[in-house]
Amino acid sequence: MASKDTHKDESGSLYKKAEKIYPREVHGLFAMWRSIGVLVLLGIYYIAPWLEWADRQAILLDLPNRKFYIFGLTFWPQDFFYFAVLLIIAAFALFFFTAIAGRLWCGYACPQTVWTEIFMWIERKIEGDRPQAMKLDKMPWNARKLRIKGTKHILWLLLAAYTGFTFVGYFTPIDHLTLRILDLSLGGWEWFWIIFYSFATWGNAGFMREQVCIYMCPYARFQSAMFDNDTLIISYDEKRGEPRGSRKRSEDPAEKGLGSCIDCTLCVQVCPTGIDIRNGLQYQCIACSACIDVCDSVMDKMGYEHGLIRYTTENAMQGKPAHILRPRILVYASALLLMAGALGYAIATRVPLEIDIIRDRTKLFHETSRGLIENVYLLQIINKDEQAHDYNLDVSGIEGVKAILKSNVIHIDKGNIAEIPLRLHVDPYDLKKRSSEVTITLQATDNPDIRIEEVTRFLGPTGRR
Amino acid sequence: MADDNLPTCQKTISILWPSFLTAGLATVLFFTAFDPAVLLQETRFADTSRLGAYSIGFFLFWLLTTTSCALTCFYRKPCSPKK
Repeated sequence: MASKDTHKDESGSLYKKAEKIYPREVHGLFAMWRSIGVLVLLGIYYIAPWLEWADRQAILLDLPNRKFYIFGLTFWPQDFFYFAVLLIIAAFALFFFTAIAGRLWCGYACPQTVWTEIFMWIERKIEGDRPQAMKLDKMPWNARKLRIKGTKHILWLLLAAYTGFTFVGYFTPIDHLTLRILDLSLGGWEWFWIIFYSFATWGNAGFMREQVCIYMCPYARFQSAMFDNDTLIISYDEKRGEPRGSRKRSEDPAEKGLGSCIDCTLCVQVCPTGIDIRNGLQYQCIACSACIDVCDSVMDKMGYEHGLIRYTTENAMQGKPAHILRPRILVYASALLLMAGALGYAIATRVPLEIDIIRDRTKLFHETSRGLIENVYLLQIINKDEQAHDYNLDVSGIEGVKAILKSNVIHIDKGNIAEIPLRLHVDPYDLKKRSSEVTITLQATDNPDIRIEEVTRFLGPTGRR
Repeated sequence: MADDNLPTCQKTISILWPSFLTAGLATVLFFTAFDPAVLLQETRFADTSRLGAYSIGFFLFWLLTTTSCALTCFYRKPCSPKK
């Protein structure tokens, strides 16, 4: 009976009509860890946008103003490099943990898992556990079914709406967002994204669930490339379990010629992706370890040892020695450490000053009444620091080059951009080429470490006359 | 062909989903490099808020990537010599 509803993927096709899965509720060690994970991660998600840091939201990816605030740091679009390195670090961290412990991410930390867990928790509170939910779905629509389903969807939608609101709160200050929702003055696009994200949450965590993991997730498609024989996987101990079969608690399985598996199919019933772990490692398995917990509880009842389904490795299953440190792990770990160190160093030594030099394109150069060659530039100077600074400007590269500025000291407020016209004068006798390099140096008067150099070109008539 | 057994819904999603991912990536890269407020300031869309510009930009990218995903699916079908 069990094997009938477990061989769902015989067609070999990745896409088929989805059957609704009713995972049975599970208690045990790993279920507890998963609950802790869900609580901690959801707690971080819902609380983080409300944290304050120096009179502003601590984590604010302020898209409308093109500045990202992460606690004491402010990132500008020009700092995209850090974001790119962060993504590479995240990728290597994923590779590293996958190689060591398999799909830890999928089972415990992925938002898809986390929100599915909380949505299923609500569903169980309203509809009851697996048999009741299945019965409810089979029965014809009546007032009771409508009431139960309605309650569930209202609760789901409320949670989804709050999730969408929180999501937008990461990108636009959440206290203003709250006020503007309350007095109905919120802009159309903010409403749009709140509703969009809410519906995505409702759909993904309420309906699509394991199908997101099986069909849509890119990581699920390539995670097996990081696996080797020493990767921690969830596995059924076939040698110990087979031949499976039901028996009375008092019977000795050895006498009946049976293994430890009593074929209760609970491991299939608790599986959120609807697979039978006894068929071996499958790509649908998100390593949530629900089957371990439920099987251990059955082993307890039967008076057998734990671990018929357990975390193990291919090598351990075959009685070979396990290796934690292996080339793959060392490569991932060193790449991870190297990139993380580089990012840490780059952020620690980051100069909170940026300069863009834009040439005046209407005239390449011209001659002043005193016979000097003049080039005109527009300086865009960004003070990325959290305090105002005065800056000195210095030009070098051509002998006798003179900078003409409105004032000698450039003052820029914190987090501001100043556009400063700059004229450079050079005696034509000092020009050796049509186009010469000049270096513009900017340095804060109160902190010599805040200093940047930028190279641009000075154009003139053909060299010496 | 195996493809023809796919329900229309899944065919549609298999076009919309990859294009959604790449459109998101394109939007991030494009608007990191270009500030919509600067791009639009000389046009008659100068009043568009940045959030609006990002959003419209995302949907335009999505339209573009959807088109190319759909064309890939379309041209993947071998043409029958009998027709």
